[in-house]
Amino acid sequence: MPQSSASDKNVRIVRATSAFDCGGRCPLRLHVKDNVIVRIEGDDAEEPDQLRTCLRCRAYRQYIHHPERLMYPQKRVGRRGDGQFERISWDEALDTLANQLKRVKKIYGNGAILLMTGGGYLASLHRGGAAAQRLLNMFGGYVTHYGNISSEGAVWASLTQYGSVMVGHSREDMLNSRLILLWGWDPARMISGTNTMYHLIHAKENGARVIAIDPRYHDTAATVADQWVPIRPGTDTAVMAAMANVMIREKLQDQAFLDRYTVGFDRFKSYLLGEEDGVEKTPEWAAGISGVPADIIASLAREYATTRPAALMDCQGPARSAMGEQYNRCAATLCAMTGNVGRPGGSAGGGLMGIPVAHMFRSPGIPAGKNPFELEGPKVKGTLDIRERVIKRIHINTLFDAILKGKKGGYPSDIRMAWSMCNNYLNQTGNSNKAAKALQSLEFFATQELFMTPQARYADILLPVTSTAERSDLMRPWPSGPYFMFSNRALEPLGECKDDLEIATELAAKLDIKDFETHSEEAWLRRLYERSTDLKHHIRDFDRFRQEGIHRIELETPVVAFRKQIEDPENHPFDTPSGKIEIYSQRVADIVDGLCPPIPKYLPTSEDRNDPLSRKYPLQLITPHPRNRVHSEMYKVEWLRETEPHRVWINPVDATPRGIEDGDEVHVFNDRGTIAIIAWVTERIIPGVVSVTEGAWYAPDANGIDRGGCANTLTRDAYSGGGAAVLNTSLVEVMKGKRS
Amino acid sequence: MNQFGFYFDQTRCTGCSACRVACKDWNDIPAGPENWMRITYTEKGKCPDVFVSYLASPCWHCDNPMCAAACPVDAIHKREEDGIVVVDRDRCLGNSACDEKCRKACPYHAPQFGPEPGAKMGKCNLCLDRIQAGKKPICVDACPVRAIDAGPLDSLEKQYGRARTAAGFTYAKRVRPAVVFKPKPTSP
Ligand code: SF4
Ligand code: SF4
Ligand code: SF4
Repeated sequence: MPQSSASDKNVRIVRATSAFDCGGRCPLRLHVKDNVIVRIEGDDAEEPDQLRTCLRCRAYRQYIHHPERLMYPQKRVGRRGDGQFERISWDEALDTLANQLKRVKKIYGNGAILLMTGGGYLASLHRGGAAAQRLLNMFGGYVTHYGNISSEGAVWASLTQYGSVMVGHSREDMLNSRLILLWGWDPARMISGTNTMYHLIHAKENGARVIAIDPRYHDTAATVADQWVPIRPGTDTAVMAAMANVMIREKLQDQAFLDRYTVGFDRFKSYLLGEEDGVEKTPEWAAGISGVPADIIASLAREYATTRPAALMDCQGPARSAMGEQYNRCAATLCAMTGNVGRPGGSAGGGLMGIPVAHMFRSPGIPAGKNPFELEGPKVKGTLDIRERVIKRIHINTLFDAILKGKKGGYPSDIRMAWSMCNNYLNQTGNSNKAAKALQSLEFFATQELFMTPQARYADILLPVTSTAERSDLMRPWPSGPYFMFSNRALEPLGECKDDLEIATELAAKLDIKDFETHSEEAWLRRLYERSTDLKHHIRDFDRFRQEGIHRIELETPVVAFRKQIEDPENHPFDTPSGKIEIYSQRVADIVDGLCPPIPKYLPTSEDRNDPLSRKYPLQLITPHPRNRVHSEMYKVEWLRETEPHRVWINPVDATPRGIEDGDEVHVFNDRGTIAIIAWVTERIIPGVVSVTEGAWYAPDANGIDRGGCANTLTRDAYSGGGAAVLNTSLVEVMKGKRS
Repeated sequence: MNQFGFYFDQTRCTGCSACRVACKDWNDIPAGPENWMRITYTEKGKCPDVFVSYLASPCWHCDNPMCAAACPVDAIHKREEDGIVVVDRDRCLGNSACDEKCRKACPYHAPQFGPEPGAKMGKCNLCLDRIQAGKKPICVDACPVRAIDAGPLDSLEKQYGRARTAAGFTYAKRVRPAVVFKPKPTSP
């Protein structure tokens, strides 16, 4: 039996949290003995306010102390990508990186240096890449990527419609809803804010009717939904447009709301009635596209329009697709048509679900300074024209194409070396086989990592970094709280691990950069606190905050997005050019040859189910979040892996003719690649669609078959007109056993 | 005797496994076949009319523990004071010697064994160390949707009612498991 740490005097309890790119931020009490975490307990606040962790942080210690953690610097000895490495000293590792930076800068210029940063660690001080950005800016600049794999479509839609990304309600507001539409939203799995699922269950127990519209009968639906409406991927906007049409035909829309708070409804209406293109967007029209029967579309429209208040909860998954932005915009438009924007129990749509109080976006951080490489040309932020944003940066989902093609392919520079931290983009952006080729083509690749990830295998120099448990930091939830967290360092760095800030500081010396500030972690954290207006406003006593590990903000009433704009529109215009909710956006119309229409519209795309390619690859692939890892983080943790095998969901309608039985090994493939994976034959997915959770580690065998089952071996490295990464618009075929 | 037991709200459980992982962490059990808390799955019907339920399956600390009766060396024992069924691993012969008699006797397969030959039996002990420290079992504290509770069975019955069945669970009269449920209705 294990020792009882509860009574062991040598056990310290450390208040901490994790910095994963998950939807939660959960208080942890780490039991630490002899620099080892021996057990985990969660939040100890009085109920009902406990912020409860999901299974992942319950397995936190197996992640931190995993035997495969990288513990010392290494250099490549075999062929690149073969994964053969040899231990070296920190000095040699950092000298090599510094010399390569100098060499590449001298021969090719700063634009040839690619900095790859990401969401692998989300906090203030040690945030992915912050220190590296500061360093490289002082070194003359670098080229980097633009956009967020998860949510760019939702960001574009919310900025277009509302001029704001803070479109969420605090979660307890669902208690005020009488009807909740889970439209592509599965918070039991993707968390969406600690305790979100618990609040949703309370809303259901409080009498709200819940309808799930989704290709899958996911666990949230299975738990709370009164009705499941299976829908084909990429067709959400068609169904929403038909619902809007029913509302107009039956005069169910809240015309007073539309007149007062929105612009452009008439343009949308004329699209719906077919005045624009001769096709009325009737339920029958949408049924043919989406697979949702026309009578169900009509009854959804009626129920949503006549039940007040009602919350249409759209999220980001369906928006990670070709024309994905349209789904979030159309959802927001329905929220306006039903008068639910700015109202308790309602919702604004837009997919982001964030509240402005203590939001992660507002975290303080190390000042990065300006990137000399980006000084010329348009600003990276603040435009809806994605083409302007990619003049100086590379869209995240074409990163590897840019490495392969450079300026000739229309990218901002020819890349010769890359320095990477807090990401595993080979695995997590579209088209992993192409990514592997691109990493092969670099002159030099250095990466900071905790594990030998699929991407780290391609490194020339591997730098082992500390985990969250070996650092202190200021943290915030995304996208809901509100609360602030202080994660206390529980362990002294394991092995020879260093944190990213230390690495940048030591590199600064090797690059002869003089004014790279070298404060201790402690001093930095105090400075960040002092500089952060909202932290200072809410927290008087920094030491107490650190000791308690959390500061909760009491809300008198739930946060409701745009409440002020609706209650007092004269004094609180929306942050759009018209000051109103823009169902028609002149800014979007002004983008010549805009790739997104100025009103929300359903538009066919390549690799949707009507693409002629569907004769060869007849199944649509979706790639939702995994439950037992955070994207590709924690993939190695056995306590998590054993909770759920990695499987492709397939309906018997598709499995039977292919001779596939539950538990068979199958190949899922298209022109981009093939994965080997176990089949899960289930009625929980609509026929014609298969589902593979993202984040399993890419592991090609000698024949190029990805034995790891990485979903992105099959996805496209493309982005939609508003910047959405096109990851849920892929056609595939599935076959039993070996592909001949 | 003040029998302790569980309450499980099947209408809330999302099948997430937080309880299962927390149990492994608290009780220091390696990944592998020994799972003191298991989540079992039921699926019925056809798209779009599908029924799905999960069942948290620890040891139910039965009134008449057949596992104890089956053990050839009396390694399993039901505690007088709280009815918690515990195993003395020093006494347990290991699975190869006794052919897993306890596991076979238990209608719920609660007795568990690690992968190594001769593994000693392990199973849910209702987090006795936590109960003794005045806390709830770790699975109770871990469940993100508060679907599990544990404590004296009579007070659980007072608070949650006396339902003794749930989807995927059969109340075995011969052992009388110490559990009450809020079952998930098979048709809404
Ligand atoms: S992974 Fe995220 S949501 Fe899950 S427990 Fe950890 S912090 Fe919370
Ligand atoms: S009571 Fe404790 S030992 Fe039993 S299943 Fe729950 S966590 Fe595991
Ligand atoms: S933690 Fe709760 S919701 Fe998750 S599987 Fe266990 S009982 Fe079910």
